[in-house]
Amino acid sequence: MKIAVCVKRVPDTEARIKVGGDGKSIEESGVKFVLNPFDEYAVEEALKLKEAAGGGEIVVISLGTDANQETMRTALAMGADKGILLKAEVTAPDSLAVAKALAAELKAGEYDLVLFGKLAVDDGCHAVGPMVAELMELPCVSSISSLEIADGKGTAEREIEGGIEVVEFSLPAILTTEKGLNEPRYPALKGIMMAKKKPLETKEVTLEGSGVELTALAYPPERKEGRIVGEGPDAVPALVDALKNEAKVL
Amino acid sequence: MTRKSITPAEFQQSLPQDALIDSSPPDEERIDMDALFVGGGPAGLAGALMLARLIQEDNEKGDGLGEVSIGVLEKAGALGEHSLSGAVVNPRPFRTLFPDLKDDDLPFGMPVTGESVYMLRKKRAIRIPTPPSMKNHGNYVVSVCELVRWLGEKAEEAGVDVFAGFPAGSLRVEGEKVVGIKTVATGLDRDGNPGSNHMPASDILAKVTALAEGSRGMLALAYMDWQRIKAENPQIYALGVKELWETKKPLDKVIHSMGWPLPNSAFGGSFMYPLESNVVSLGLVVGLDYRETNIDVHEMLQEMKLHPLFKPYLDGGEMIEWGAKTIPEGGYYSVPSRRSGHGVVILGDSVGLVDVPSLKGVHYAMQSGIYAAQAIFGALKADDASARVLHKYDRLLDDSYIIKDLHRTRNVRLAFNKGFYRGSIKAGLMTMTGGRFPGKKIKMEPDADVSKKVVKSKSFAPDGTLTISKVDAVYKSGNITRDDIPCHLIPQEDVDAEVAEFYSHLCPAAVYEVEDGKLTINPPNCVDCKATDVLGPRWTPREGGAGPAYKRM
Amino acid sequence: MAAILAVLEQRNGEVKRVSHEVLSAARSLADGMGVEVHALVIGPGGTNVDGLGAFGADKVLVAADDSLQLYQAHRYAYIAASAAGDCSAVLIAGTSMGRDLGPRIAARMGAPYFNDVKSLEGSGEISITRPMYSGKAIATVKITASPCVLSVPPNAFAPVEAGKAGAVEEVAVPEAVEPARATTVNVKEPETAVLDVSESAIVVSGGRGIKEESDFKVVEELAAALNGAVGASRAVVDNGWRSHSEQVGQTGKTVSPNLYIALGISGAIQHLAGMRGSKVIVAVNKDPDAPIFKVADYGIVGDVMEVAPRLTEEVKKLSEG
Repeated sequence: MKIAVCVKRVPDTEARIKVGGDGKSIEESGVKFVLNPFDEYAVEEALKLKEAAGGGEIVVISLGTDANQETMRTALAMGADKGILLKAEVTAPDSLAVAKALAAELKAGEYDLVLFGKLAVDDGCHAVGPMVAELMELPCVSSISSLEIADGKGTAEREIEGGIEVVEFSLPAILTTEKGLNEPRYPALKGIMMAKKKPLETKEVTLEGSGVELTALAYPPERKEGRIVGEGPDAVPALVDALKNEAKVL
Repeated sequence: MTRKSITPAEFQQSLPQDALIDSSPPDEERIDMDALFVGGGPAGLAGALMLARLIQEDNEKGDGLGEVSIGVLEKAGALGEHSLSGAVVNPRPFRTLFPDLKDDDLPFGMPVTGESVYMLRKKRAIRIPTPPSMKNHGNYVVSVCELVRWLGEKAEEAGVDVFAGFPAGSLRVEGEKVVGIKTVATGLDRDGNPGSNHMPASDILAKVTALAEGSRGMLALAYMDWQRIKAENPQIYALGVKELWETKKPLDKVIHSMGWPLPNSAFGGSFMYPLESNVVSLGLVVGLDYRETNIDVHEMLQEMKLHPLFKPYLDGGEMIEWGAKTIPEGGYYSVPSRRSGHGVVILGDSVGLVDVPSLKGVHYAMQSGIYAAQAIFGALKADDASARVLHKYDRLLDDSYIIKDLHRTRNVRLAFNKGFYRGSIKAGLMTMTGGRFPGKKIKMEPDADVSKKVVKSKSFAPDGTLTISKVDAVYKSGNITRDDIPCHLIPQEDVDAEVAEFYSHLCPAAVYEVEDGKLTINPPNCVDCKATDVLGPRWTPREGGAGPAYKRM
Repeated sequence: MAAILAVLEQRNGEVKRVSHEVLSAARSLADGMGVEVHALVIGPGGTNVDGLGAFGADKVLVAADDSLQLYQAHRYAYIAASAAGDCSAVLIAGTSMGRDLGPRIAARMGAPYFNDVKSLEGSGEISITRPMYSGKAIATVKITASPCVLSVPPNAFAPVEAGKAGAVEEVAVPEAVEPARATTVNVKEPETAVLDVSESAIVVSGGRGIKEESDFKVVEELAAALNGAVGASRAVVDNGWRSHSEQVGQTGKTVSPNLYIALGISGAIQHLAGMRGSKVIVAVNKDPDAPIFKVADYGIVGDVMEVAPRLTEEVKKLSEG
């Protein structure tokens, strides 16, 4: 089985986000960049499928600058076989432009399975996987929390409000992964050493912008000042009233 | 029980030698390398980089060793995340490592353009002349995290394998020879049972192991203990607590202070450096030979921030980071008699290469890495990593400016063992005479042997803006260690309330608390400053990535 | 002028409430542009589309077929993209269906797509705001392309009665979109596990202010009365009273419920880091200076053991009345 895993380099979720001088992007100094946490589930699932099949190839694909190589090495250290970096400057979150570039590369690769994290924690767009699927006319299940594959067919589960959707599909297919699907492994020492020697190919691509422009990046509004409703149990009715009529949460 | 004083050593466990020195046969699934640097700080990275350069140059000449595997092991989740220093750095070793780069290309913050030293009183600051040792013209304010990350990139470009998130848990030995290390297992629960993410410890063997673990390095301590390597004085330590602030008011000079809020019986001082025009690092350093049990460096730093010398800079600003670390302060007389052995060399802070009067160690650490690389290169070329060949490192160090610098100031810090005022006078004389006064060594005892008077603590109420609690401080250190990690600290059983209280002040990260007269330990809070290992429960290596995640400290 | 298409969502043939929010968002955008709102409902035969006019639909397009009872991604996307025709924008709710369907419609139409849209405006070009970096920043994005597809999160737009025609029009349902390669075969009931603290709309957490393990029941009782999940501070978990899976905070779970009630929690930063994304925060603490009151919307200064039972009682009254 030939599996592609599309990964993104993102700021660590613990990073302090500071808006840069241009008012449109974040300041990168002092920010640690990591493999998108949801992509780790995708890499892990690919590794498990390969291990279960006793063979196959896992190709890590990422779109961005040379800095992405470090992120891709993490996936290679976990056990992926090779990497393809689609080199492009990505500015505004433009899922469609990214999906088109990825779809072009993925078509050429003739993969049995393409895995994505369900979203990237930087822009939170939650879009590229299903978009690529529609562009490539491939079956796709997003945000999967369970997966079984046998004989060119698969069954995946995805959590929805108050239930779990069970979806059957045929290969080749595209899946996006949700927390809980598996527990990603840490790269082992040997894996880290081997990762350096694994092939990592770079291809220049040009993104076809889809008519969006990020014009401003700002901090969220501060929480508005709260108030002390009162003291002791006698204040409870006033609190309940506020929750019901003011905050409308009861 | 009510005691008058506490001698910390009486409540300390001995070094867990059996766990730290492992002579069992190595695992078959081991990794073999030529040279392994334990610790990805300035010393280890400079050493690895220098070694890679020497090998490459040699290969280019023909007749080289070909491919040589050089590894750097770092316990933090990523390079720099456990690195903390003031720091004003002397760029000297950078000139050796990067002869083609200009200072602008190096990972430095602001150059030092002005400096002031103050004697603090509770409400006043009296400016005093800057002692010659504290003149910093030509030096740079640096974030050691950034410096380390930058060095790491350079090392990786030169072909060095950097393994972040892998602590060395024990030294692998064969007879008298160091043959490598064993890492620490990960994914164990509080009771030591493997969880779903468990990864067992693995062996890394190397022809030469360079211990560059930093201050109070456990493998270095264990090795020197095992080999009975001594220094003329025991090593003594200070604890530094540091904060990084984004300020509204720019700071244009480096500031040092002495005196308040420290009692006369303690040695230490504060620093405030501009990393950028609106980012300052601010800290307080206190020698762990202090004399009262209620000395609490974190709380004193909080109190200090309200002083008119500092407060105007901090008002309206925001604390970005917080961290703590010990510093070896013994100087010349505490440097061990040898720093090499069969298959091993010991670098930087792990052998106490810090000059207290000038408050510097980063450039010595890097320089010691460069010397170690030269010795290791010789050993690899000769295919002989015996103590005889690696002794070259000791010779290089002994003949270097490092040891000369430390010798010149050999007694300055030690003079303060009898209190601040007598210390200041003696230190002044020493500086004037270039170290010749008082001529002979001032004898020191280990910090843990210095008895501490039991003093009731006053209550401390942080305001949450300018001053913060220890728990909030731990959050600001970026520490997200999982809660069910096994306890890596070894206290004596059943320590009483007074000792527990002393520990709670000693630890800046609220690892120790007193609850109902008993000691409670919160291991995940630990930021690996090692103060606990100096005066309290023993610190042992724990799973990779645990501890703080400093970004610009 | 090209209309705004609101893609609605049904469950068992009934249009979900969140769809009314989508309609209202579409209505306000359409009013700014001076165009109509078309609502699209895809569902089983007999899907009830009454009353959508009241929330602003000028026209209701219905694609009904029993094979469309469950969400069939590829077919839904095909139908929606066809119905969108020359619409200038497509709006959809950020539910599990919408998060999957939105980008598919966009890709089929060659249109840009954004989720988590918190506000939108514009008469020609549409300008939106949406969170980035897990809510640590808010981005303003100008969309110069037309059409575009936007998904709005639940509770961001209030349903507003608008009183439009809501004329129902059937749209043809293609037999099958070839090749039908992925099929939703059924929807399983979730395992009746305890409500997870990170997923619950209401969380009641207890901390150090609760002195005895047995006293923790006041937290459980309030959570039960509110049909919410129980959370705990690190101190409580460290005491072994509650499991680590319930710990809220930096080293525990991050929660963002509609209502977070902190009982006897002082509010160390590491706890706040795990819950400050909550929509409404209530704090009960004896210490009026406790940091938790700085982030709380409503606070009661008092003993948890007295306040919490009273609160449970009042909540019960409310749900009974």
